[in-house]
Amino acid sequence: MCMEYGMSIGASRMRVSLSKSILDSFSLLNGELDKVTHSADRSLFLYIFADGRYGTFSTNNFSHGQLRQFIAKAIDTVRMLAKDPCRKLPDPERTAKDALTGKELKLYDSEYQDITPEQRLKEAMDASMFRTMEPTAEYTVISEECEYSDSVDDNIVMDTEGFCGRHTETSFAICSEVTIQDNGGRKLSGYWWESSPFLSSLETGGCSRTALEKAAGKIGPKRHRGGSFRMVVDRSVSSRLASPLFSALNGTAIQQKNSFLDGTLGKKIFSEDLTIMDMARTEGRPGSRLFDTEGVATADRPIIENGSVKMYFINTYIAGKTGMQPTVEGVSRPVIKPFIKEDALPEKEKGCLSEEFEINLPRILRLCGSGIYVTGFNGGNCNPVTGDFSYGIEGFAFCNGKITHPIREMVVTGNMVSLWNSIIAAGSDARECTRWQIPTLAFDKADFSA
Amino acid sequence: MDKQYFLDIFNVTVPQMERLTSTALARGGDWSDLYFENTVYGDLLLKDGQVTSGGLHTDFGIGIRVLSGEKTGYAYSENTAPEDMEDAAGAASLIASGYTGSRGFRRTDRETAGKTCGSGLLYPETEAWSLTQASTLVPFLEKLQERIMSLDNRVIKVIARLSYSHSDIMMFNSCGEMACDSRPMGSVTASVIFSDGTRNENKTASRSFRCGAELLSDSLLEELAAEAVKGIDARFGARRPKGGRMPVVMGAGASGILLHEAMGHAFEADFNRKGQSVFSGKMGQKVCDSSISIVDDGTIPGNRGACSYDDEGVPGQKTYMVKDGILNSYLHDRISAKWYGVSPTGNGRRESFRYNPIPRMRATYMESGTASPEDIIASVRKGIYVDEFSNGQVKIGEGDFTFYVKSGYMIEDGKLTAPVKDINIIGNGPQALADIVCVGNDMKIDNGTWTCGKEQSVPVSCGIPTVMVKSLTVGGE
Repeated sequence: MCMEYGMSIGASRMRVSLSKSILDSFSLLNGELDKVTHSADRSLFLYIFADGRYGTFSTNNFSHGQLRQFIAKAIDTVRMLAKDPCRKLPDPERTAKDALTGKELKLYDSEYQDITPEQRLKEAMDASMFRTMEPTAEYTVISEECEYSDSVDDNIVMDTEGFCGRHTETSFAICSEVTIQDNGGRKLSGYWWESSPFLSSLETGGCSRTALEKAAGKIGPKRHRGGSFRMVVDRSVSSRLASPLFSALNGTAIQQKNSFLDGTLGKKIFSEDLTIMDMARTEGRPGSRLFDTEGVATADRPIIENGSVKMYFINTYIAGKTGMQPTVEGVSRPVIKPFIKEDALPEKEKGCLSEEFEINLPRILRLCGSGIYVTGFNGGNCNPVTGDFSYGIEGFAFCNGKITHPIREMVVTGNMVSLWNSIIAAGSDARECTRWQIPTLAFDKADFSA
Repeated sequence: MDKQYFLDIFNVTVPQMERLTSTALARGGDWSDLYFENTVYGDLLLKDGQVTSGGLHTDFGIGIRVLSGEKTGYAYSENTAPEDMEDAAGAASLIASGYTGSRGFRRTDRETAGKTCGSGLLYPETEAWSLTQASTLVPFLEKLQERIMSLDNRVIKVIARLSYSHSDIMMFNSCGEMACDSRPMGSVTASVIFSDGTRNENKTASRSFRCGAELLSDSLLEELAAEAVKGIDARFGARRPKGGRMPVVMGAGASGILLHEAMGHAFEADFNRKGQSVFSGKMGQKVCDSSISIVDDGTIPGNRGACSYDDEGVPGQKTYMVKDGILNSYLHDRISAKWYGVSPTGNGRRESFRYNPIPRMRATYMESGTASPEDIIASVRKGIYVDEFSNGQVKIGEGDFTFYVKSGYMIEDGKLTAPVKDINIIGNGPQALADIVCVGNDMKIDNGTWTCGKEQSVPVSCGIPTVMVKSLTVGGE
């Protein structure tokens, strides 16, 4: 109806995206129910091309009369903008043809429909361990916040060139934050979460325990001297270092000269060992999608391969502006190929590493010997134009492969290209629950100051 | 405010709202409230020399909350059909299943909440956005680009964005109280990329106010253009300095974001009620020098953080968190106010009808002291002067913070010398507050597009006079 009406009153092309989502959450404070939330959202996005001009519009008011008025106003608004010949719908050859039911990627759990409020409360209660948290000689527990949530998201995209695609997924999540007070009166908090597209795969038990362990692990921080050290970054936060890469590969940043990776397509600028794939079509895994926001079909393909930049994320508009080949709009499910740099391996292990070999945190810490193990980033920035970064960190010093003590008030500084050139290991331990499969990472000679 | 105007927008009556709050309390509970919202939001984007994209967005709905002691039940509906609102009220009421009640809300909580500001005074919309054609807004962005490019020949790209909105809000609670508010907002941002032929640098300037299209004046255009190119010479010449612990002088205005992040959040009463804040249990205690007073103010006319009413229907107020160095008040919503036995301070805010309100800041600033900024800088032998921060983060419990320095200078022998970049300032909020040894006489509110992201996004602003912290960790080479 929207497209028919829009085309009848002056639009030349249109894309419509209809979304509906439902989210329920049960939150506990100190083991008792504290908040119950029920959210049911719907939205209609209209991408309107008229008279060589373009605008985006959205509403959650679906009454026919209101919607027609809204579309008419939207088209009037589009006509006030400047013409832009690069604004087009994607070539129908490039749009997905295999997203018909929304459930092709097996991201929908039919069990979702049968969950009752009582079950949700039970899941939250199962995750809580406040009643069993005893004070220790080192700390007392101040509070435990624990939340169970589940959601379903259903999105249908259509355009006037004949594209129609649907994506449906469920998500089940549990998170916990525990605050403790050490003997010196200092408050410390730890956070952990688990999530899955499937209820049966959600591990609720242990979430609060992990959060408590993370809080307790911060007791007794010491100032560490600054210098150049090996840096190991925990898999729960390593995506912070990958994010500037994907931002810099974005077509809009490239076109606007706002990217430190401008002019690097096809060039080898990172470590030979570094390969990052976009595995957009893996069934049953968060982040997978068959089409992007334009409806363009995704593909499993390399983003960076053996250190060479293999793709920019170029949408139809940026392709028109730059003359580059269009790809997809943004990264879907990046996966870093596990490796240990050959010359970083102990002599006896050289040549013995197989693809099945598990590369986890203990192994990477042993490999690195001593340095700084980063478990959290606290503030900081990466300059999108130069790639220079400076991040506050929290974590631990380690020596001979063993964690020695928590550190405080440290920052790591450097340049993104240099950093990713100094990578010496990428684990095989990326968390399955995350959309970006970024594992434990190790870098040589990172600059820390304190 | 013409209440009928709001009742008509949402197509409801007072008796209907009374029934709805009763339904919400059918399972028990102490309090229920309704939050109706109708927001129209528009934006225009100038890129590559032309305004080639723009949009219009509407959001409409009602949020229903039930409080049962300190517990919250929340649900919403995206339309105001009676059956859908009843369903939402039923979902919110789940929180009170089996609850027998404890410390009920009374009218006096509301009556002691403070003086009503009256939205007409705080944010008049002289030229309503809803009556302004997009075609009349486009030239402002084009002129802004032209002016910026005329000020510096190294400018290679200008991205300018205008966003504007108008929200009609109606609130009703189980005590029968009704409050209405019309909230305009206009924001302009210019992001500029410069090239000196060998490398690029970027800079951003923005302004945001609760006002109508009268925002788009020639003086605003000149102010934004000047700020967008100001200090770019220094940025090209800036270097990463040697790090270490040293005195840090924070420039007046935008440095107030450090006050917001590193200290303000720790004054929010929800963190304190749960015992998680570093300031929990310290009410009435001395937390810094007696020359320091820190305010959270919802009553600055036209300010981005101004609230005639907060999102619980409590009148906007000016709240001293720290008065003459003494912790004076937390920032309360109705839940925490009841828990502490005090009046709400008008800090119960939310992103939209989709969210329950929680304690949030408005315009947070430190009042002026007596020192001149020049004297403060002259008193430092070796340190850092910072006039622009970004990407700050704080840990509420520990109070530890890290802020990225966007713009600053070395201080050597009392003088500003080499420009610095790409460094972080690291410290502990309460400790940094206690370590402020000098407060300037030049308090300035920064009117940029500040948005606080604690669980939900709400517009805020911040300010500070020039201050000196005697020792902070500066992360550099």
